[in-house]
Amino acid sequence: MRPLTEDESKSVFTKLANYIGKNLIHLIDRKDEPYCFRLQKDRVYYVSESSMRLSISVARPNLVSLGTCFGKFSKSGKFKLHITALEFIAQYAKYKIWIKPNGEMPFLYGNHVVKAHLGRITEDTPEHQGVIVFSMNDVPLGFGVTARSTVDTRKLDPTAIIVFHQADVGEYLRDEETLF
Amino acid sequence: MDVSNILASHAAKYPSTVVEKDTPLVLDPGYLTVTDLNPIDEDSYKANLEEYLQSTARDGIQALLASLFALPTHPSPDGPLAQLPPPITALPRAKPLPKPKQPTKWERFAAAKGIQKKVREKKVWDEERQEWVNRWGRDGKNKEKEEQWITEVKANADVDFDPVKAARDERKSRVAKNERQRLQNAARSQTAHADREERKKDIEKTLAATRVSTASMGKFDKKLEGEKKLRGVKRKFEPTEISITKEKEASLAILSKLDGETRRSKREKGEDDTLNVRKAIRTASRGRGGVALGRESSGRGRGGKRGGKR
Repeated sequence: MRPLTEDESKSVFTKLANYIGKNLIHLIDRKDEPYCFRLQKDRVYYVSESSMRLSISVARPNLVSLGTCFGKFSKSGKFKLHITALEFIAQYAKYKIWIKPNGEMPFLYGNHVVKAHLGRITEDTPEHQGVIVFSMNDVPLGFGVTARSTVDTRKLDPTAIIVFHQADVGEYLRDEETLF
Repeated sequence: MDVSNILASHAAKYPSTVVEKDTPLVLDPGYLTVTDLNPIDEDSYKANLEEYLQSTARDGIQALLASLFALPTHPSPDGPLAQLPPPITALPRAKPLPKPKQPTKWERFAAAKGIQKKVREKKVWDEERQEWVNRWGRDGKNKEKEEQWITEVKANADVDFDPVKAARDERKSRVAKNERQRLQNAARSQTAHADREERKKDIEKTLAATRVSTASMGKFDKKLEGEKKLRGVKRKFEPTEISITKEKEASLAILSKLDGETRRSKREKGEDDTLNVRKAIRTASRGRGGVALGRESSGRGRGGKRGGKR
């Protein structure tokens, strides 16, 4: 376990800023309790200071997990956000889309969101913007990247993809072994 | 005959050769200099500046000349000559003080060990000849072994062993060693310590680069004796337990830097945060989109042109 280097923090922050924009400050500068980012075996954990200090006493090979896993660094050094970070990025999301109940299951099986399943969308969402996917009763289901801007979606046919799937809560079951 | 009258009139005509002042003049005949330390008489200075300056200058020159004529003289073909005394005024140096000489390697060692310098006599006592002879140089004592007419040789010595040559070689090698050390000391004193460290680091860096600059990246190179293993730069991370406020500040700094980067890239692209272009187009076209707006405006423009031709 170690703090992130400057380059690593940069790639983590740019990825997070794609979804929550300037609200990222609220993750770093929290009012309730100081939190920090820690790296353990390529995985980036968002952890409160107190539990970080407790976990120092655990040897590196024995430490399985701590705090909340935000994602991992691939071998080529790119940062990949995991579904486990959803809890934190959903509350600060800048752009959201809501999908209809009949579109929930296809999305939770790892499919892209098609226009037919689109319930609501934040107005003026640009193209290729990270968005959080919600069910109609405001339960966060996952996140993805918009294929078209809000205006352009109007002209599309119902089967066209509007959000590329990146992660969904179904991964808690599908990737249970490797997720945390 | 009373000449006191004439003398008095003569004295009145010419100023006295004896200069008397409140503070005596400082004379330095060595530099032919007089220094007048008396305060300026303000009244006469203001009344007639030129006259006042000339009178003080005269007094000074008079005193100097008097001191010069008081010097002892000795006759010469060109007339009597006086030797100026050594100057008493301390003048500042024209050049900066010479830098202290760098100590040699031995001097540094001796200082560290507290070894006192001993002056060796140039002559040594020769017991056989019963006289003082040179330690080195002409008929030096150090050449004794080379010049003696008979030399003891060990029983196991080589057949072609030349004791004279061996002794001479040994002496010459000592001389060469001293010369080498002298040159090294000179080279060391040429460059400052910090410079040397920097150059050493540079050389080490170059050496490390050359060692891996072969086809096998230095793997099959011949190893030199005493060559150390190449070590790379170790990665260094922050300690896990640092002050959380400091960590927070660092990440906020990174965040603000990232923010600046995105703003700069937006500006380069011509985007601006203040105007939401998409929203503006939608309002202007009453929800029909930018294409419709463009068509409308261009159609109107064409119509106007046609109108103009008619």
